Amino acid sequence: MTETTPNDLIDLEVSKDTWPKSMLAWIFLGIVSIILFAIRSDFGWIVSFPEKWVLPFAEWINLFMNWFIDANKAAFRFFAKVLTFPMDALRTSLIWLPWPAVLIAFCATAHSAGGWRLMIFTLSAFGYILVFGYWVPTMATLALVFLSVPLSVLIGLFIGVATFASHRTERLVMPMLDVMQTFPTFAYLIPILFLMGFGPVVGLVASAIYAMPPMVRNVVLGLRRVAPEVVESGVMSGATPLQLLWTVRLPAAMPTIMIGINQSTMAAFSMIIIASVIGGSADIGWEVLSAMRKAAFGQSFLAGIVIALMAMVMDRISRGFALRHTLAHNGPESFITRNQLIISVLCLMIVFIVLAQFFQSLKEFPEVWVINPARYLNDAVDYVISEYSGILDAIKNSFLIYFLLPIRLGLENSVKPFTWGFELNNTFIAYYLTLCIAVAASLWRLWGWHAVVGIVIIAVFYYYGTTGLPWPLFIAFVTLLAFQVAGFNLAVFAFLGLIFMLLSGFWPQVMRSVYLCGAAVFFAFSLGFLFGICAAMNDRFSVFIRPINDTLQTMPLFVFLIPVIMFFQIGDFPAMLAIIMYAIVPAIRYTEHGIRNINPSTLEAAEAQGCTKIQKLFHVQLPLALPEIMLGLNQTIIFSLAMLVIAALVGTKGLGQSVYVALSSGNVGNGIIAGLSIAIIAMIADKIIQAWANKKKKELGLI
Amino acid sequence: MILKLFKTFVVTSLAAILLISVNVKPAKANSIPESDDPIKLAIYEWTGQHIASYIAGHILEDMGYNVEYVTAGTFPSAFGLSDGNLTATMEIWDNNLGDFWPKMLEEGKIEDIGAVGLDAREGWLYPLHVKDDCPGLPSWEALQSCAGVFADAETFPKGRFVEYPADWSDRATRLIQGEGLAFETIPAGSEGALVAELKASVQKKKPLVMMFWAPHWSLAEIETEWVEIPQELLDKYSLQIPRVFKAAWPGLKDKWPTAYKFLKVYQLNNQIQQVLMNKIDNEGQDPVKATKAWVDSNKDYWEPMVDKATSN
Repeated sequence: MTETTPNDLIDLEVSKDTWPKSMLAWIFLGIVSIILFAIRSDFGWIVSFPEKWVLPFAEWINLFMNWFIDANKAAFRFFAKVLTFPMDALRTSLIWLPWPAVLIAFCATAHSAGGWRLMIFTLSAFGYILVFGYWVPTMATLALVFLSVPLSVLIGLFIGVATFASHRTERLVMPMLDVMQTFPTFAYLIPILFLMGFGPVVGLVASAIYAMPPMVRNVVLGLRRVAPEVVESGVMSGATPLQLLWTVRLPAAMPTIMIGINQSTMAAFSMIIIASVIGGSADIGWEVLSAMRKAAFGQSFLAGIVIALMAMVMDRISRGFALRHTLAHNGPESFITRNQLIISVLCLMIVFIVLAQFFQSLKEFPEVWVINPARYLNDAVDYVISEYSGILDAIKNSFLIYFLLPIRLGLENSVKPFTWGFELNNTFIAYYLTLCIAVAASLWRLWGWHAVVGIVIIAVFYYYGTTGLPWPLFIAFVTLLAFQVAGFNLAVFAFLGLIFMLLSGFWPQVMRSVYLCGAAVFFAFSLGFLFGICAAMNDRFSVFIRPINDTLQTMPLFVFLIPVIMFFQIGDFPAMLAIIMYAIVPAIRYTEHGIRNINPSTLEAAEAQGCTKIQKLFHVQLPLALPEIMLGLNQTIIFSLAMLVIAALVGTKGLGQSVYVALSSGNVGNGIIAGLSIAIIAMIADKIIQAWANKKKKELGLI
Repeated sequence: MILKLFKTFVVTSLAAILLISVNVKPAKANSIPESDDPIKLAIYEWTGQHIASYIAGHILEDMGYNVEYVTAGTFPSAFGLSDGNLTATMEIWDNNLGDFWPKMLEEGKIEDIGAVGLDAREGWLYPLHVKDDCPGLPSWEALQSCAGVFADAETFPKGRFVEYPADWSDRATRLIQGEGLAFETIPAGSEGALVAELKASVQKKKPLVMMFWAPHWSLAEIETEWVEIPQELLDKYSLQIPRVFKAAWPGLKDKWPTAYKFLKVYQLNNQIQQVLMNKIDNEGQDPVKATKAWVDSNKDYWEPMVDKATSN
């Protein structure tokens, strides 16, 4: 642990002094809420915001967009045309190249990035693509990625440098990046379609936009981390600011920039499916979507694996290169060997191109070698359904009855003879109250009044449900939380953001989404936390779970929607499952990382004092890893909001569905508002948790 | 010497020009193709549409046109058809178009070039085994009295009704709410979700009633029946027979007049689609090859349509 400076001590004392005042605020909120609940039946507008108060934001946005599109259409169409050329050229040439030639190029790249192991992995990944007959669509996808990644890397580098250079730019760019990363990608497909017209370029631009923020962030981070001595030595040798940037700062920041390139590539891959909603290039995303539309699980799963494999290959390759950059530069000898390699690879490729003119099987992978086991996968799903339908229904119903329905409608509306077996009565309410008080009292002794406030809030949510909650109460609750954890600025942002959603008339959808994501985050985080602890304590489990995490995060989750619907039918439960599958990954990763990265000397001290393994976990590792774990929660929330739109394919009602409806009716305004609402929720949650984690880190002396 | 060389050069080049100009067909108004640019046909996500498109494409190629197939989402393709990035689409259903398509058709940015010739319908569908739980089906009154059979935890006490995806239409929801029926609608989210519901209902032997349409490939596999909805309700809530039509870029008729005429008269029927759907979806044949084989062996079906287009 680092030493606690006198400054930190003062901070701690000040914050201790403010606690009672903040407790008063919560008590006040509690009193207000009692009043609100008491009068809500007389004043209906407290719960459902009246339609006549809604402001036509969507129309205003549409008016503006119409003007903007008319004014700039020509320029954007021209830009789209310009981009079409390299895209078509790259696509045609990748498809034209004989498959062994492409294979050789990839294997050679993989070998120079990560040695034999990576090469074998790459070879088997491409083997899979060939054998299962996805070669041509894969090449179309690679053409998209190979063009969109350099585009986002170049623009990202430029914006990153500008952000680093000027404070004013930074204040403009940083919030923009937040919006770009949390705004659902589906929603910005509509304006891009209007501006650029139909074609694969829309997908290209959308993925370039989505993949840019990580690049910008890493460029800024890398430039800031350059040691001042290095810059000074550059200044002393008389470099101009521009020279300083190109010859000193950027090369020194290269390792971090390479990580940015890696993250951009991953982001581009996660956009493949969404980009193919537009169509235009018959790529692998299109294969997944078409199969999914036919409810053909086997086919969509096999095609989905292609995306996961390619993402993993690209990830390992770009990470390999990033790592090589961090290591000391190799001597001139390796430079020559590398050139030798490039030349020999090119020669080999040319040999295959020539040979392919004579042997058809080299040009196109022979059809007789292609296998298609989709049928067996479908049979497996059918088997599970017909054998275990009773168990599946029981699982779904207990989740719905005891968890999802109460959160959505509240106990007051969901306890019915059909569900719980009895009508809501006073005895039940009395039991519920006693239970809540008992839990609150026992937690008070453990964690103080914060825990009590938390329990009360959960109890209120569970009893009244997100849809029965008066909107003034919800807004006040979020604003107060933001104020106490992150300060005045965030409180203003949260307040204005929520008012915007209210006035735009999307409140019911917002609450529906808060409910679904809240439920999913609860499970994803609790399960991920447990798995993360297991992975941190047990190396074998860690090795076992890592490829599963990789697959869940790179595999387009569309493909799981089909079996999930067949198992559990359309509704909130399968949607929640789909979100959990995606959002559990950061919870696992951050928990494991947080626990594993604790300063070993602290652990040794704990062991020296004779802590058992369990004591060590609860009293040393978990408290110290808490800030990091909280960042995992933060990511879990952002991931679950990102999945919201995709889960709408299962048929959820809420903001995700609004985005879809806006897409099919060409209503740019509604799409932007629904998308912005998702982005605002994500940003509020993000900022609150970040502020909390930073505070905690300071208290623990970690920074 | 130089003069001689120059003379031979002039003579040979003149001869060459003459040869070329003889070889080049005289520019006639009706020559095919009117333009060598590819005619771009939209390929959507469902097999029936692939069949309609590839058959039209093979015939156009046979006529001498250059054809390209472009994958496209139904909604985005409206942009392509309005600015010529797509030339035509051979099958589109007006029951799942949302609002944007009709607007584009109305404004003349996309041209409706007539029905495909499919006998289509839409309505409330249930798998046959549901009759065990609700013996009075397919009568409308019987369905209303067994609403409770369809209830589940999310919709109780009302029956569960699976509706089209929200971005297609909400006709069933409007009917159910307008008539105060004891059902609650759950929007499906996608076609895949609708089909998955249907398949799972058969395997689990669980009650299901849903919005659906025909012809659809899954109805060949699963035994189903339609609920008999009273005619006045069909009219009141415009549960119409879906119109399956072709649409084109408005510039098609000027750039490729003959192709335009052909695509306008081009017709298919349920029989052709079903035979080919079976080959593609069940037997796993390649759609391009299966349709090519059909075009090659059914010349007497489509040649009259080409004749109609090429005769003035």
